[in-house]
Amino acid sequence: MSVETTDVGMPAPSAPADRGRRRGPWPILRRAAMSLLGPAPVSIGLALVLGGVVIALAGADPITAYRVMGEGALTGPGLVNTFQRAVPLVGMALALAVAFRAGVFNLGGEGQMVLGGLAGTVVALFVPGPGLLVMLLAFAAAVLAGGLWGALSAVLETRLAVPILISSLLLSYPARYFSSYLVRFPLKEKGSSLVATEPVPEAVRIPSLLSESSPLGAAIARALGPENILVRLTSTLDWSLVVVALLIVAVLVFNRRTPAGFEAGITGLNPHFARYAGVRTDRLKVSTMFVSGGIAGLVGIMLVLGSQIRLVDGALIATNYAWTGLLVALLAGSRPLRVAVAGAFFAAIIVGGEAMQRSAGVSAQISQLIQAIVIVLIAIRVQVTWRRRAKSTVREQSDDLGRV
Amino acid sequence: MDEGPGGLRGSPPGPFPVRIAAHEEGDRVAELELRGITKRFPGVLANDQIDISVAKGEIHALMGENGAGKSTLMSILYGLYQPDAGEIWLRGERRRFSSPIEAIDAGLGMVFQAFKLFPSLTVAENVIYREEVTRRGLLDHREANRRVTEIADRYGLAVDPTARVERVPVGVLQRVEILKALYRDAQVLILDEPTAVLTPQEAERLFTILRALADDGRTIIFITHKLKEVMAISDRVTILRDGRAVASLTTRETTAAEITRHMTGRDVELRAWPVTRPAGAPVLTCEGLSATGDDGRVVLDSVDLTVRAGEIVGIAGVAGNGQTELAEVIAGLRTAAGGVVTIAGTEVSRAGVAARRKAGLAYIPEDRHGVGTAPTADATDNLSLGHHRSGPLVRRGVLQRGQMVERARELIARFQIKIAGPGTMVGTLSGGNLQKIVVAREMAYHAPLLIAEQPTRGVDIGAIEFVHQQIAQYRDGGGAVLLISAELSEILNLAQRILVMFEGRVVAELDAATATESELGLFMAGGGTGISAVTTVDGTESEHAR
Repeated sequence: MSVETTDVGMPAPSAPADRGRRRGPWPILRRAAMSLLGPAPVSIGLALVLGGVVIALAGADPITAYRVMGEGALTGPGLVNTFQRAVPLVGMALALAVAFRAGVFNLGGEGQMVLGGLAGTVVALFVPGPGLLVMLLAFAAAVLAGGLWGALSAVLETRLAVPILISSLLLSYPARYFSSYLVRFPLKEKGSSLVATEPVPEAVRIPSLLSESSPLGAAIARALGPENILVRLTSTLDWSLVVVALLIVAVLVFNRRTPAGFEAGITGLNPHFARYAGVRTDRLKVSTMFVSGGIAGLVGIMLVLGSQIRLVDGALIATNYAWTGLLVALLAGSRPLRVAVAGAFFAAIIVGGEAMQRSAGVSAQISQLIQAIVIVLIAIRVQVTWRRRAKSTVREQSDDLGRV
Repeated sequence: MDEGPGGLRGSPPGPFPVRIAAHEEGDRVAELELRGITKRFPGVLANDQIDISVAKGEIHALMGENGAGKSTLMSILYGLYQPDAGEIWLRGERRRFSSPIEAIDAGLGMVFQAFKLFPSLTVAENVIYREEVTRRGLLDHREANRRVTEIADRYGLAVDPTARVERVPVGVLQRVEILKALYRDAQVLILDEPTAVLTPQEAERLFTILRALADDGRTIIFITHKLKEVMAISDRVTILRDGRAVASLTTRETTAAEITRHMTGRDVELRAWPVTRPAGAPVLTCEGLSATGDDGRVVLDSVDLTVRAGEIVGIAGVAGNGQTELAEVIAGLRTAAGGVVTIAGTEVSRAGVAARRKAGLAYIPEDRHGVGTAPTADATDNLSLGHHRSGPLVRRGVLQRGQMVERARELIARFQIKIAGPGTMVGTLSGGNLQKIVVAREMAYHAPLLIAEQPTRGVDIGAIEFVHQQIAQYRDGGGAVLLISAELSEILNLAQRILVMFEGRVVAELDAATATESELGLFMAGGGTGISAVTTVDGTESEHAR
């Protein structure tokens, strides 16, 4: 897809964009680097300056606060925390990016994630069998539940002309309350003060990348010491990191290398063109919403089987990954690699903000304010480059003045 | 009159006295003068030092290929764009318009191609909008209608001021737009391709109106692609090429050939493309095809037609008489209410687009921006869509990106598309080059059937000739072509048989060798007898009740 290759930030008609399309991973890496070195740092810098003013007004020292923020997000346990947040955030953003790229505005990530988590949890709790198999079954159930919930919105649009934008958003509520009901009553753990299901069996939980109790993990921990960052990361992060990484690769391959992915991208750019060329756009909407909802459901169950251990009422929604993921997907222009970069960045900002709040005497509201400023400024940057690109496109077409 | 801010700031450059235009003889002041207008967009010099002078009461034609800068120039004149350099002089005064409202107030009026009217209001209400006639603060409809009628009568613009705009035909809408300008007492009227939507008869009528306006001392600038119109009605003509005004000629001292040469920089003559072989077996047959429009009206009324291999069948008609819907129904983009469609032996009446394309359909749609391309995608993607499910572009289910680029390069070269490279966004192309993208992609199917809908609308002469040649070659290679065009010369030059559509029906079938424009025009306007005989392909006659 061209969206994947032309740098949004530089609409230079004179420089043929296909230069960079040559084989090998280098262009991709270079472009990823370019997108980091582009004007984005300018807006981040500006956001930090504005945030600094806010911090100073709130009576704290901006320099210290930022140092705390950076250290809190990028070193030691903070870095682990950042990664932990980044994985589901990138997953949710990817789910939505898949839809956005095909021109389908899925706003129901929340409900799809919740239903996925619910269906997966039920499987994990009640299906007997070997742990790994049950885990995979739980994954499948989550994908199916989230996917069908998403596809329902698409069918509503293709059959009854209810916009996906609206139905997906509204369908989140029944999903949430249904899940809430089950967790509060039929599935609630008896005699516990938590409003939650029983914990899922140990064998079904997603293992950490390299457990300290495994021989290899223990050996590495001994060699590097328990405080070593690599040891911390591998012992704390679970395999959902790998799953999300694989998903990114899968989406990349789908977008660039499959006829269906090509059709989805074109449909996102001009659905009339796609339909005219023979793409079944209605069917595409349904399958796109299934995949998008399915990924959201998968993220839901990975949160339950990974870190939360049990389905706690409202816990999946409280993470706010669905909505932060929406921002990430939008800022990344629905491109998988950028989703990963932007998701990690957002996770760092959130974790750093919390650290700032803990140890630099900056209140939670101020730290959130700074996060918001950063987001707004980046959004403006993205918007400006998009508009600039749109303008340079429209100008030449406007040969009949009616379009001007 | 108030001076524009620029007028206050500095005196115009050059040695001439302020109030006298440089190249006007004697002390006559030009009604409108553009001096050294320059407008630069990123990477493009859209207008380069353009000088144009238009005398009072003159009909001035503005010609040029797509992307030559006509639109930009008129947008600057009308206050939609600000020039980077240059001056606008109106009746000897330097003006600067920062918005169309200022231009209107200065006595400029513009009739766009896409009419800007309120469909649910009456003609008179549309005309008086923003300059309402009131009595004691309330709208005075009687007075408004009277004034509108008065202006309309003076110039022969027959309209009913109380008619709702949504119920009024296109030709009349244009008159409403002209009325709007006249009501604001526009002294300079700019019309953007005014005849594109009209029948020859309506166009004639428009010319009479324009003449009357010019005789009344109003100045008219009209943008057109049609040489014939320039020769028929204009006093002078300015030709733009690559952003420069390459010639300003007095019409009666020039020839169509000379104008063409200035436009393209070479001698182009639109030629006919006669058949070399008789037509073969039927490739497309439609029987009793009916359809309703988006608003539920009947737009296609039991249309029968056949297109044979090695034959071009032209569909003539004024825009909006069912031609677009006919193409959509055949292509599978619109559901037919009834009837049978067969493409290359396969019945596809209920099939989707993909199945019809597979059966042997290629289709150049009317709207190349909205349907024929994805303007924000690059040339490679635009040239690959549709071809991406088979052949060299997919191997074992994997899209071959390298092949896609390679093929795009090849098509760009073969169709002489002016584009930086396969990775360039096609939305940046001029109309003619964008159309070549569509034509290249659809021709590359080598499908038995090609539907070409307005294949050269808004395209420069060089590109028109190229597209015509491609279509003729397609036919000569045994392809069946259904050519839908509002351009009669195009149909007469290319088609063997001509069907005329009026209000969703095929009202006449003519042999292109003997048909004339006026004959076609008569049928297009709904003329002819109450029952018109339509010759079917078998040579038998069938009667269609009208």
